[in-house]
Amino acid sequence: MKIKAIAINTFREAIRDRVLYLLFFFTVVALLFSRLLAMLTVGDRVKIIKDVGLASISLFGMLMAILIGTGLVYKEIDKKTVFTLISKPIQRWQFLLGKFFGLVLTLFIMTVLMSLIFIVIVFLHTSKIEGRLLLAVLFIFIELVLITAVAILFSCFSTPILSSLFSVSFYLIGHFSWGLETLLLKTKPGPTKVLLQGIYALLPDLENFNFKTEAVYGLAVQPKFYFYSALYGIVYTFFILMLAVLIFKKRDFV
Amino acid sequence: MTAMKTIPRHAKGSAALSLVLILCLAAAGFVSLKSAIDKIPRKKIPGASVIYVPSGKYLKYVTFGYSSLVADLVFIWAIQYYSTYTIVDRFTYLEHIFSIIAELDPRYQDPYEIGALIAFSEAKDPKLAYKIMDLALKKNPDQWIFPFEAGHYAQMAKDYDTAREYYQEAIKIPGSPDIVKRLYAAVGFKAMDLRTSWDTWLEIYNTAADARTKKIASKHLYQVKSSSDIIVLHEALKRFQDQYGHNPENLAELVRPGYLESLPKDLDGKDYIYDSKTGEVKPPTIWWKR
Repeated sequence: MKIKAIAINTFREAIRDRVLYLLFFFTVVALLFSRLLAMLTVGDRVKIIKDVGLASISLFGMLMAILIGTGLVYKEIDKKTVFTLISKPIQRWQFLLGKFFGLVLTLFIMTVLMSLIFIVIVFLHTSKIEGRLLLAVLFIFIELVLITAVAILFSCFSTPILSSLFSVSFYLIGHFSWGLETLLLKTKPGPTKVLLQGIYALLPDLENFNFKTEAVYGLAVQPKFYFYSALYGIVYTFFILMLAVLIFKKRDFV
Repeated sequence: MTAMKTIPRHAKGSAALSLVLILCLAAAGFVSLKSAIDKIPRKKIPGASVIYVPSGKYLKYVTFGYSSLVADLVFIWAIQYYSTYTIVDRFTYLEHIFSIIAELDPRYQDPYEIGALIAFSEAKDPKLAYKIMDLALKKNPDQWIFPFEAGHYAQMAKDYDTAREYYQEAIKIPGSPDIVKRLYAAVGFKAMDLRTSWDTWLEIYNTAADARTKKIASKHLYQVKSSSDIIVLHEALKRFQDQYGHNPENLAELVRPGYLESLPKDLDGKDYIYDSKTGEVKPPTIWWKR
């Protein structure tokens, strides 16, 4: 109940944030812009609309998660409102999870709204609703949940600017970790390879949530891939949240 | 704060320990999940990652002044892509990829050279290699290396006429080294254009700046002259054979009936070696040992 109360409060706080509306506005513009881009291309116009649409939801969603998430805990500490909260019978982990779920709820509503616009635009061109696109959006949402957890983790011990930088770095590393896999294939067995394998195993692989290409081309994906990817997202988010709880627990506010 | 006060110290310690334990378990969980996901093959459209990369001409506008850096990145990526042997039809977009780099950074030499090398040795497509080299020359008309390399590929593909054209183009570019002219002359010999080959080798001989080049030219002049003489001798021998039904005892017999005006000698003034049994004519010296 305590987590729920904080989550709802966080949700209210987030939807009052002007950044959210600004980003939402840009997403809508980008989605509409995909129509213009499609007019400039030769060949499959719908492909361009789908690509730009999915990319916009993913990118602007990521920005929402990072820009709002990194300020959530920091603002409470900076404005000293955290003292009022933790002086009440609330555990620190409850406070943190409440913040997390509040932002996840906000992102969920935003993703649903963005997807609705996207699906309508695609529907106007194809006259059908493609389930694969919704599945791709679902995995974008799972990725956003993980990014939110990361933003909150950094928000526990750093300023919003630094936290944003760290979170964007996490996002970039997560999408380029395949480069490390390529490097691993070319590395000779030895301590360097073992070290690289360790780093590769720990680094996030956000490409596991990227089903945009499959959705656009209608490629078959093994159901267990979806299952493991979703589970990977949940476990990784849980790990990050636990780390955040551990840090926040030890945090001295004075 | 009050909530924290009510928790005994040992309970706080064990709570932290449990949290660390949960963290380790979660880490083990996502590591094993990642390894499980990596084992599942993911269907890909071969080259899907590159076919929709726009032409470098348009890509340049969105690099915000970092087109050289983007060219470097595309090149590094291309090397990884082309060394991934599991992508069976990776060569389909070879020209597209290297033309992107060419548009982003036209003076970047390595991508042209590597692209042509991949096209020639890996994709076994000499024409594609020439195309990449043509693009390189178009973007860098002052660089003799591109037509020179294209000529080299054509020479390896035994397309001597194309090789000659490229070497000729390379010779015209200021700064091209002497070797280009030597290769042009050598390819002319391979294409059996003995007149041009002789003239070129003679020019190299007369203008050689060092004794080594002069010696090389001299050897080739010997080769061209002996080959030309042997062709003439074989023709005369054939006519003799057709008339008398047998080979002459010696080459001098070809002069008397008028098949030859005089008996040719090699560049050193020596007679050619003739085998009357087989009708074979050989130069008295092996040209490259001369």
